[in-house]
Amino acid sequence: MINQSLSITHPADTVSAPSGHYLLSLGRHMTILIEKHAIIRNIGLLILLSCACIATLAIGTMPISPKDVIAVLLGHGDAMSQFIVQDLRLPRLLAALFTGAAFSLAGCLMQTMARNRLATPGIIGIDNAAMAFAVSSVVGMGISLAPSAMALAGAATATALAFGLAGGSGTRGYRFIVAGIGIGAIAGAVTQLLLSQVSIDVANSAYPWTVGSLSARDPFMVNLLGAGIALCLIACLLFSTQFALMPFSDQVITGLGANIRHIRILALVLCVTLTGLAVAVAGPVGLVALAGPEIARVLARYRGIPLISSALTGALVMVLADLFGRTILSPIELPVGIVTAVVGGPYLIWILIRRTSRTSL
Amino acid sequence: MTVTTLHQQTSTHFMKSRLSADNLTLKHGKVSIIEHLTVSLPEGKVTAIVGPNGCGKSTLLNGLSRVHSPSTGAVLLDGKDIHSLPSKEVARRLALLPQDTLAPDGITIEELIRFGRHPHQSLLKQWAMDDQEAIQYALHAADLIGLKDRLLDTLSGGQRQRAWIAMSIAQETPLLLLDEPTSALDLGHQIEVFELIRDLSRQGKTLAMVVHDLPSACRYSDHIIAMKKGEIITQGSPKDVMTKELVRELYGVECDLIPDPMTGSPILINMKRVRN
Amino acid sequence: MISWFQTPPSQRPLFRVFVSALLVLALCCFCSLLLGAGGLSPQASFQTLLGNGSSDDQFTVFHLRTTRTLVGVFVGLTLGIAGAMMQSVARNPLAEPGLLGVSAGSSFAVALTLVLGASTATLTVGVAQFGALLGCLCVLGVARMQGQQNDPIRLVLAGAALSSLLFAITSLILLFDQRAADEIRFWVTGSVAGRDIQTLLSVLPSMLMAALCILYVAKPLASLALGERVAIGLGHKPKRIRAVVIVAVALLVGGATAIAGPVAFIGLVVPFAARALVGPDIRRTLWLCLPLGPIIVIAADVVSRLVAQPAEMPLGVLTAIIGAPVLLLIVRSRRMPTL
Repeated sequence: MINQSLSITHPADTVSAPSGHYLLSLGRHMTILIEKHAIIRNIGLLILLSCACIATLAIGTMPISPKDVIAVLLGHGDAMSQFIVQDLRLPRLLAALFTGAAFSLAGCLMQTMARNRLATPGIIGIDNAAMAFAVSSVVGMGISLAPSAMALAGAATATALAFGLAGGSGTRGYRFIVAGIGIGAIAGAVTQLLLSQVSIDVANSAYPWTVGSLSARDPFMVNLLGAGIALCLIACLLFSTQFALMPFSDQVITGLGANIRHIRILALVLCVTLTGLAVAVAGPVGLVALAGPEIARVLARYRGIPLISSALTGALVMVLADLFGRTILSPIELPVGIVTAVVGGPYLIWILIRRTSRTSL
Repeated sequence: MTVTTLHQQTSTHFMKSRLSADNLTLKHGKVSIIEHLTVSLPEGKVTAIVGPNGCGKSTLLNGLSRVHSPSTGAVLLDGKDIHSLPSKEVARRLALLPQDTLAPDGITIEELIRFGRHPHQSLLKQWAMDDQEAIQYALHAADLIGLKDRLLDTLSGGQRQRAWIAMSIAQETPLLLLDEPTSALDLGHQIEVFELIRDLSRQGKTLAMVVHDLPSACRYSDHIIAMKKGEIITQGSPKDVMTKELVRELYGVECDLIPDPMTGSPILINMKRVRN
Repeated sequence: MISWFQTPPSQRPLFRVFVSALLVLALCCFCSLLLGAGGLSPQASFQTLLGNGSSDDQFTVFHLRTTRTLVGVFVGLTLGIAGAMMQSVARNPLAEPGLLGVSAGSSFAVALTLVLGASTATLTVGVAQFGALLGCLCVLGVARMQGQQNDPIRLVLAGAALSSLLFAITSLILLFDQRAADEIRFWVTGSVAGRDIQTLLSVLPSMLMAALCILYVAKPLASLALGERVAIGLGHKPKRIRAVVIVAVALLVGGATAIAGPVAFIGLVVPFAARALVGPDIRRTLWLCLPLGPIIVIAADVVSRLVAQPAEMPLGVLTAIIGAPVLLLIVRSRRMPTL
């Protein structure tokens, strides 16, 4: 059906795609360029991610063979494995997938905007504020809302405050970032204050919210996050040509006819929405936002802004980290935030002390 | 003083122009860099903006290309306020090559030039025949055919500057503004870039550039705008404008001017710093 | 008075500013002795100071509040000076021990020793100082490597990243040790209340060392502010200066952290205020940091006792609330590099 109008053109006497791209012509006036490398990369990542997902569903205190897992996913399988896979493990897997993708996508956008690989939403204090709100909800303080909702409110409050105090996003979002760091410091202090005021048992129950964990997450928030990611990914695709201009200087961006303010504000809104929703599900697992885009950039050989690949690598990192945390010290379950910190930590130190190479990002 | 009064008459001549500034005031924070300035770029010519450091040359260029929003007055592109036109529409008529050219990492020449097509493309029209032709043309004009797959950061300064100019060429605009296109280039590369600019002008483009070197400004431009402290002190064709008095007023340098034996454009000799 | 405001900060008479600051400090200390969350009214405290109080009152005023005030003076002094030194050596107005992860390094080391069996009471100062040194090296190493492109934001981001990392690892350690977790959550908030005078005394020798270091580098630091090449041209050795500064900062921050826990933003606010009063020369700024640090800490501590009566608001929270706006002020007042 589509074959009639859809043709992938190769060097011909008419229009040929620029090197390294496929040209998708839909009718006479609709043409879309697709990078060959991105297709291969993302398909590869998808395959890896599927394997990781199946492994996650299969491994646990009650091991289920990968074949059975696939059978259950296709709708057959015995009742027992169906219960374990669909009701116990699948929700957690979805939470890992969504939060990983969201953190990583948000990280990629903010790093690109600030031209600094350390500028991720978590490090500039959004995670901290969400944590403070969630902890305040767990600890009581006269509020008895669900911690997830509070975390979302915290992320939104921090962003609004940072944006208001900074008086806009500033050059490359710098003012916003510094305002965020300040607010994050206050939120961190408030969290410590809250934890020091209550009994150790209550402090322990707030613990998952301070390190980031995927066990027993609120299914409503997971679904909301899933929807949020879908919308944000669509927005990223729609504005991909504009986002691709972000690494240029302000003058070049304006000269090419794009509105920097709009691009930056859109990128910030996407970042904050994704981070807020993700923190509301899993708590602060900020290092994924640092590591996911980094892997994606390496895979993309530092070409362009690998938004989709970042989402995929983030999801992959999160799924693997959670799998690792569940199994390594079984029956003790390590929170996923701890695993990412321990694995991502040395890497972060490496970024910090490594001599700056030619890449400024 | 004499210079100012002498050339005020010539500047009032009517000039055909697509880009002009009317009563323009540009500020950095609270400091006015340029106040109530009216100027227009003659069509189809190369205009050189000269003046001492900090006189507002680059600010004027940024103002003309809508990067810097005016506090008062307006920049008119084809008779309309540039800020009232859609940004992409402006980018199809006016290209800007800024001084600070920061590029994404790992970008090749061809990819950089492709960004120049941004104003001509849209979400559902990402690649067409005209894009392909414009890029081929830009590669050709800037003599970069052989280098198109090289990474931008592996090139020499002159090649890199040509690549950026090629990006502006690919934008296919009738107007092109360049901010110090030859700064930090050695003599050979400077000439290369200036000759490219002259070629573009011969094809009917209107160009304006900020230049530091007076002899080059005289040699490669048709019109000179001399600025000091945010004001235009004189403008006109290089032969009319370039005088000992002007050099003294702009830079506080005493010199003699002799015509280039080959081209007739003025050359500065015997320069001495004097205190105004 | 008006003419005083019109004088550029760098030309104001340092001695007069210094003495007025000392007077303000004396006033703050006096308030700190008089005001408090306990049942003791300011009048009764005053009577006690004059020697007419009950033994309970005397204990409160002379033991609890005096110790607390002394600790406050100490913490303010050390963190203020450390901040000024770091900002000078990193040539960055945002360099602050709390923001840059030095305090985080210090509290990480403390958490580690707590898990290994120590308790906050018997905590060795050396551990905290060693942690501070590591944090300092890590983050100032980044500043060094930026070379000419010394971008203030980059350094702060590096610090924030380091802090969040150390926080996560501290959390991991505490996951395995309930006792340590219970002990550290009080310490990690940053407070000058209920500290022991013995701890204060045990820190003094290392403070003496830090003071010697500072005397040694104060003048070279002033020339380093003009740029590395200029400093070399003037016959200084930038590497040695930096090393000495890092050691001094680690000693100071480690000492303060060992006593009061991580208190953020003092190192940012104090030099900022000092520069606003007497200009950017490090030799002048350091003098003024001496009284300004204690003033800010003690004032914040007094406020923290009063705002949430009968409970107390920990000092660390209050300083963060004071510090964040100053951070923004600094960022907004400078033209940030576009990089």
